[in-house]
Amino acid sequence: MNVALKIWRYDPVTDERVLREYEVDAPEWACLLDVLDLIKDKHDGTLAYRKSCRMMICGSCGMRMDGRAVLACKERMKPIVDAGHVPVIAPMGNMPVRKDLVVDMVPFWNKIRAVKPWLDPGYDEADEKERIISQQKMNAIHKEALCIMCGCCVSECNSMESDPEFLGPAALAKGFRFVGDPRDQADIERLNTLNGEHGVWDCTRCYFCNERCPKGVDPRDAIAKLGAESVKQDVGHDMGAKHAEWFVKSARTTGWLRETELVPKTQGIAAAIKQTGFALKLAKHGKVPPPFPPHVAKDVNEARDLYDLVKQQGRDGAAGIVQGEHALGQIEFIEEAGEREHAQEGQPGAETPPADA
Amino acid sequence: MRVAYYKGCLASLSAKELDTSTQALAPQLGIELDELESVTCCGAGDIHEAEPDYYLHLNARILAYAEQTGADTLMTICNVCTLNLRQANWQLKNDPDLLARVSTNLRSVGAPPYEGSVEVKHLLWLIAEGDGYERLKEVAHKGLKGLKVAPFYGCQILRPSKILGFENPDQPWSLEAIIEACGGEPIDYPAKIKCCGFPIIQAREDVALGELIQPIEQASEAGADAIVTPCPLCHLSLDAWQLKLRATTGQDYQMPILHLSQLIGVAAGLEASELQFKRHVVSVAPVVEKLEA
Repeated sequence: MNVALKIWRYDPVTDERVLREYEVDAPEWACLLDVLDLIKDKHDGTLAYRKSCRMMICGSCGMRMDGRAVLACKERMKPIVDAGHVPVIAPMGNMPVRKDLVVDMVPFWNKIRAVKPWLDPGYDEADEKERIISQQKMNAIHKEALCIMCGCCVSECNSMESDPEFLGPAALAKGFRFVGDPRDQADIERLNTLNGEHGVWDCTRCYFCNERCPKGVDPRDAIAKLGAESVKQDVGHDMGAKHAEWFVKSARTTGWLRETELVPKTQGIAAAIKQTGFALKLAKHGKVPPPFPPHVAKDVNEARDLYDLVKQQGRDGAAGIVQGEHALGQIEFIEEAGEREHAQEGQPGAETPPADA
Repeated sequence: MRVAYYKGCLASLSAKELDTSTQALAPQLGIELDELESVTCCGAGDIHEAEPDYYLHLNARILAYAEQTGADTLMTICNVCTLNLRQANWQLKNDPDLLARVSTNLRSVGAPPYEGSVEVKHLLWLIAEGDGYERLKEVAHKGLKGLKVAPFYGCQILRPSKILGFENPDQPWSLEAIIEACGGEPIDYPAKIKCCGFPIIQAREDVALGELIQPIEQASEAGADAIVTPCPLCHLSLDAWQLKLRATTGQDYQMPILHLSQLIGVAAGLEASELQFKRHVVSVAPVVEKLEA
């Protein structure tokens, strides 16, 4: 098939950025990475991009196709060619461009390093006895453990565009991979780090990370798990945590959000007073609803009783999110403890290989 | 069609104009609203992040009361309510053990159990295609005189698409279709699918303003007369916090922000008392003047 592509080329020597169009003949099974290889082999050896495994494991070939961060080895070209579309290939976002499709991932790795991405079991020397952890317990971090650190989630993170120091979806998902690990003993220390100024509560819940992740990690859900775990372990004293807790308090008292009290409850009285001028401008247009009389939901006692009931059932913290993942996740979970078979992942191509292959 | 109507917190509080315009418009579009009374906040993503099991139960309770009305559809008018309710619904419908536990808990506090029969749909989805769209074309008889309208989708009506799934999250079309059906001209700009910053506007105002400026700036540069959004949280961010951009950028954009129900309401000739433009922080007068000229 004849594949046409437009590629944003960047030459760091001349600082020139141009959109070049290429056409190559490629086999029908070709993915974007195969097409880039053909361009580099047959048309322009100066084209720069990263690659290694070609099978969605190494996380090297993250780039943008038509504005979406993708793994080049995962994107089949045939449907695009059949649609007569000429995609635009560009480097990932939120990272400085080195050359063509290669971005500088040093800031990315610094953030991964900042979350101490190694197990801290709380001892130096292991006992002679082997400690077996059930599959069910390890499933709590199944999704996060699948991260291949390709950077596709970071590429489109809206908070990071605004705050480049934000730890971001990849590092925070990695953070939960250890906070949620039943073998790790450094939860509180980790949660304290992750609750910093550029941590958990910087996430704006745009869900681009979940949408883009090629492995089904769902980094936004991992961030929510960190938030829930911070609240449970009483680590969350950030304004973001207070904001979240006020919604819980509202639901438990009036049922509906106590909107006007949200500002002082989140920011504190002093900071809220500084906002008085702004609040008065909003109040002129009815945007500051009076807290009295409170807007109380009918049958709110049910919502109050529900809170007490679910707290007794002990699924607070990250467990409250993990329990729904079997239904929500883009991947399958292993159900039986000790089962060695790997769960089937979403396949990159549309075609299923024949059984005897 | 008759739907269970969940208006959420903001439409009862700071965004009452969203509720009044929706209530006035819905019958014209053939949507009969059965407003839910015994319901609470969906948690806005915040309860999901602080007490996720409680979040699930609160949303299950809303779904159960919707089911009790006999309607198949629970209609929302807020992106955040839509995602929170659909996410809970997805979990409950696809996990019989979870549904059984949650339903037992609901029953034991005196709420109806949830059977899993309700679909959660945003008003936008009900009128962007099918019968709703056909009715819309008739209802929007006054038109918008080619008003240039920038659609702003916000996040949680598009992503994660696995849970929302109405349209391609990277190339949505529904707001554009509605703007055109009303006689307006949709304006295209990259930030229309990005974040308004609202979820962190209290805790990280600087970061949020850095997000908020993108749609305001881009829509202004593209010559939009107004921005329309299907979400009251995006509305509050774009409308009220737009004031703060003056201090950070020195620019006074004065970009009017319309709720979806207000945009259609203008084209349908709703009364001023139903549209309630006086409740906006940024004046909508330039839009009204342009349409009356």
